Amino acid sequence: MKKLLIALCTIGIAYAHHSMEGFDRAKNVTLVGTVKQFKWANPHSWIELEVTNDKGAVETWNIEMTAPFVLVKAGWKSTSLKPGDKVTVVGHPQKTGEPGALFVSVTTAEGQTLTDRPPGAPAPPAAK
Amino acid sequence: MLKRFSITATAFLVGSPGLWAQAPSAPAPAEPAQLGALAPANIAKPRPKPPFDITGTWLHAMARDNPFNFSPPPGFKLTPEAQVQYDAAKKARAEGKAYHDDIGQCWPAGLPVIMTRVWPIAMIQKPTVIFMVSGFMNSTRIIYLDGRKHTDPDIIIPSFNGESIGHWEGDSLVVDTIGFVEDHHWIDNGIPASDKLHVVERMSLLGDGATLQIEYTMSDPKNWVGEWKWTKRWKRVDDTDITEASCLPDLNAHMPSVTSTTTNIH
Repeated sequence: MKKLLIALCTIGIAYAHHSMEGFDRAKNVTLVGTVKQFKWANPHSWIELEVTNDKGAVETWNIEMTAPFVLVKAGWKSTSLKPGDKVTVVGHPQKTGEPGALFVSVTTAEGQTLTDRPPGAPAPPAAK
Repeated sequence: MLKRFSITATAFLVGSPGLWAQAPSAPAPAEPAQLGALAPANIAKPRPKPPFDITGTWLHAMARDNPFNFSPPPGFKLTPEAQVQYDAAKKARAEGKAYHDDIGQCWPAGLPVIMTRVWPIAMIQKPTVIFMVSGFMNSTRIIYLDGRKHTDPDIIIPSFNGESIGHWEGDSLVVDTIGFVEDHHWIDNGIPASDKLHVVERMSLLGDGATLQIEYTMSDPKNWVGEWKWTKRWKRVDDTDITEASCLPDLNAHMPSVTSTTTNIH
């Protein structure tokens, strides 16, 4: 159990090369939107997601991801997301309320869910 | 008179074997004061066999007793100037903010932090030099093993990874590094590095050569009192290679962690 906890902690900070203080890791935000761009790049990949807010306006969210070599182990390809894809993204929101989040998972219109963990890896700790 | 001329001429000819043998062609170029580390003539010089070859790809072995960061040791004492920075970083952290996250802004990590990123490091050892190329921003460290001394302090060019000179002691490689930049270089959150930073690393391969251990001793009289010591470990990762990884402004523009103006203190 102790080993598992250490592993979870390790995964939790996996492949961030800088401070992640700006994200509220205790919270999850669920975003239903359209992929504007999916960038497959070192040192971090990211998703630009267009989301219609409560007032009917379209906001562009930046979803910060880990490095592609980690995503490959989790089953990703550079073609996993394309502009125009309708997706649901879960992420840890920015503490400031700005439209940005740290990636947790994405579910495609076809119902496929991708995270940044290899298949079979322990699920991330539930957000409080 | 004739005798003096004769002695002078003999000395000239003896002192110039190239001229004696090949006159009247141009003299052979003199060997430079310091051959480059990859010059074949330097590599070919006779040297004792090193106790190990570090060549390989290595990854910092994250564990509870082997953390990424170089946090100050118990009982540490900062200089008043550094204490201001440390307190400001502590306050920022309590408010959930990032304090001078220069790495996120594409500044090089620098020694020692570059050694414990979550990216593998390719290490290539030659008789005269070790090249360490981090998978993160492809930051390069060069450790000279060819017997050269540190560059004159008046002409050394400051850098983030410093100037490293190594020598073998028993089964270990001892690496002495100086010549660091003054700004945008951090040992840990709120702990700055200065141009007076001095890093000594004792590198050893443990067990079957699958573990690299480095014992760090670091001083920086501009920022703390005395010597700080850490021991870190890396594991050999034979199933991976480093790749190109560049921190670029247009990529960063999509990273909320570094673009947020309200959670980053610069």
